[in-house]
Amino acid sequence: MKLPLRVPGEGTMNPETQARPSAAGHGLARRDVLKLGLGFSLALGLGTALVGCSDSAKAPVAGLRFLRAGDAELFQALLPAVAVEFGRIDAAQRTPLMERVLRHVDGTCAALGQGAQKELRKLLDLLAITPLRYALTGVGGWDGAGVEAMQAFLARWRGSRFATLNAGGNILVTLTASAFYMQPESWPSAGYPGPLDYVFKAVNS
Amino acid sequence: MALPDIYTEGIASGWKVIDASRLAGPQTLQADVAIIGSGAGGGVAAELLALAGLKVLLLEEGALRTSDSFRDMDEARAYRELYQEAGARATSDGAIAVMQGRSVGGSTTVNWTSSFRTPKQTLEHWAAQHEVKGHGVAEMQPWFEQMERRLDVMRWEAHNANNNVLKLGCEKLGWEAHAIPRNVRGCWNSGYCGFGCPVNAKQSMLVSTIPEALRHGATLAHRLRVRQLQHADGRITGAVGEALRADGITASGTQVTIQARHFIAAGGAINTPALLLRSALPDPHQRLGKHTLIHPVVLSIAQMPERVDAFYGAPQSIASDHFQWKDGATGPMGYKLEVPPLFPGITSGVLNRVGTDLQQSMAAFAHSNAVLALLRDGFVEQSPGGSVRLADDGSPMLDYDVSDYVWDGVRRAWLSMAELQFAAGARQVRPAHLDSSFHSSWAEARKAIAELPLKKFRASLFTAHLMGGCAMSENPKRGVVDSRGRHHQIANLSVLDGSVFPTSLGVNPQLSIFALTAQNATALARELKG
Repeated sequence: MKLPLRVPGEGTMNPETQARPSAAGHGLARRDVLKLGLGFSLALGLGTALVGCSDSAKAPVAGLRFLRAGDAELFQALLPAVAVEFGRIDAAQRTPLMERVLRHVDGTCAALGQGAQKELRKLLDLLAITPLRYALTGVGGWDGAGVEAMQAFLARWRGSRFATLNAGGNILVTLTASAFYMQPESWPSAGYPGPLDYVFKAVNS
Repeated sequence: MALPDIYTEGIASGWKVIDASRLAGPQTLQADVAIIGSGAGGGVAAELLALAGLKVLLLEEGALRTSDSFRDMDEARAYRELYQEAGARATSDGAIAVMQGRSVGGSTTVNWTSSFRTPKQTLEHWAAQHEVKGHGVAEMQPWFEQMERRLDVMRWEAHNANNNVLKLGCEKLGWEAHAIPRNVRGCWNSGYCGFGCPVNAKQSMLVSTIPEALRHGATLAHRLRVRQLQHADGRITGAVGEALRADGITASGTQVTIQARHFIAAGGAINTPALLLRSALPDPHQRLGKHTLIHPVVLSIAQMPERVDAFYGAPQSIASDHFQWKDGATGPMGYKLEVPPLFPGITSGVLNRVGTDLQQSMAAFAHSNAVLALLRDGFVEQSPGGSVRLADDGSPMLDYDVSDYVWDGVRRAWLSMAELQFAAGARQVRPAHLDSSFHSSWAEARKAIAELPLKKFRASLFTAHLMGGCAMSENPKRGVVDSRGRHHQIANLSVLDGSVFPTSLGVNPQLSIFALTAQNATALARELKG
């Protein structure tokens, strides 16, 4: 099944030029984000409660097991920001590649134990609520968010003195980066030739 | 030349292998001994008990994955199919990544083959400080020898460039270093041990002890999660399992009842304590799931002038104990230096960078060397380890706080690794830490590392070695099981896995688990046959 994707930067070779100044410009002052960081756990609780009002928003995207529509949009916005190499992949390959990255992230999330899944769900639910997302990340909406705005959000979270924001930023970055660099399209940029040739040939002949 | 798949042939010849995802309805399985978990402990126990003529039932939550499915040599498939939580397991707060196997063979199916004997300092510490008996250096020697013979453990001398960085650095600095013994037979030196050996050379439980147990009439049931041990009057009366679906994660709703004279918990130091906690077994001294040790791992990345290709060749073949015992077993935290193999996916995660920083770091991937330090936790009060508790659905969660004692070891380890990498000719070195950057000299790195904040989520922390939580001790107030792995309060339950270790080991754990299990399972077989 094909996922309904809109791939940021598709058709251009350099997504860095795609940054939307409007989204970046809405970023809150660092002081405000830190202030919000204090109430992060409270906000997480509130976020979960707010999301509870819509059943359709709670279902995973058709064909996926964990990620909901808003979560998938988040990871679509994260990929070209975390792995800028994505923007250098041949444009025709980007949509199928994005789909595989999303499926990989989804499969990983679906395999997590209940404890980790609950924490991740709280984080994603929080980021799915527009006012909270905007307050905490400075990004109005994932759909169309530019590379620079996403990078600014990640830098802010990971640079925060609040461990909860560091943790959230780290998990989004590592899930995205590792899902991308596990795809063969990324390997030339890393100088990884793929499975060791003589063994691969021998066991697959 | 396609290699024969051991299990395809074995099952055709009549091996009893049950894929619980294909069960049509509820089942009852009966045996003399039911072993829960098929890793280093369960695999060795299954072979020895089956050879002793006992009817063995080996139960595994993960799926049976064999060399036929390892032929793609692919990182994404490996994490998805062979690792706990698809490779994304972590401590409950997400601060420490946990790499642990989850398929038939457990972590032995995916580990990097390092096979060390338990250090004598560790064995002596257990006897002196934890009231452990029967596992002294002399008493363990024949069991190490037996398992080394059984699993073809030999020192490996064909070091790849990644290991040679560690070797050269140690030589330049006059630090101790040695070749690592590996459990391989006819190894092709590919480096893909972590994705399941594609040529069945690694003598994991998957290709060695479990097939031998099956040849001697044992039954293997996989995709079967044991939920609970039922107990009454100080005995296990049975166990309840749930069949999993083909995804290997979700329960299908089909219940499996397990009946046996004796039960062996061998799920490792996270899943075994969780099983015993779910079963509400007596724990009068609150020792169950406590003092979980993890060998906290920190890393340092170097960019070398030449290609390193740290993905090819035997992944671990050099180790240094220079900083391991220099202050004895109970001084400031000791650590062992080794290298990890690097593959693109996991490396990008370890780098934990964004944008052009990640892009540039990954562009240097083939020139990258990584050194890791295994920190020897649990030997002193200031290093109490972590604990296992249960989520609402009964799945395990591991809490692990990093004490100041451990952080002190972390900083010293970063310094040692950077010094070593520069001594070996590194152009640039960066410790795996959110606030670090690449340094181009040892003097610069030393200054920067001294100032790195010692905080969770800023320092990248990992573990691949889970130990403790069902510690052995002759004193029931100090341990869950006795020195032979027998539960202090339950007569017909043994624990034979890494969870019985009273401290961490200071070495990669598989051979310690093999040998201790061989010793304790042999005694158990005698008892059950007697």
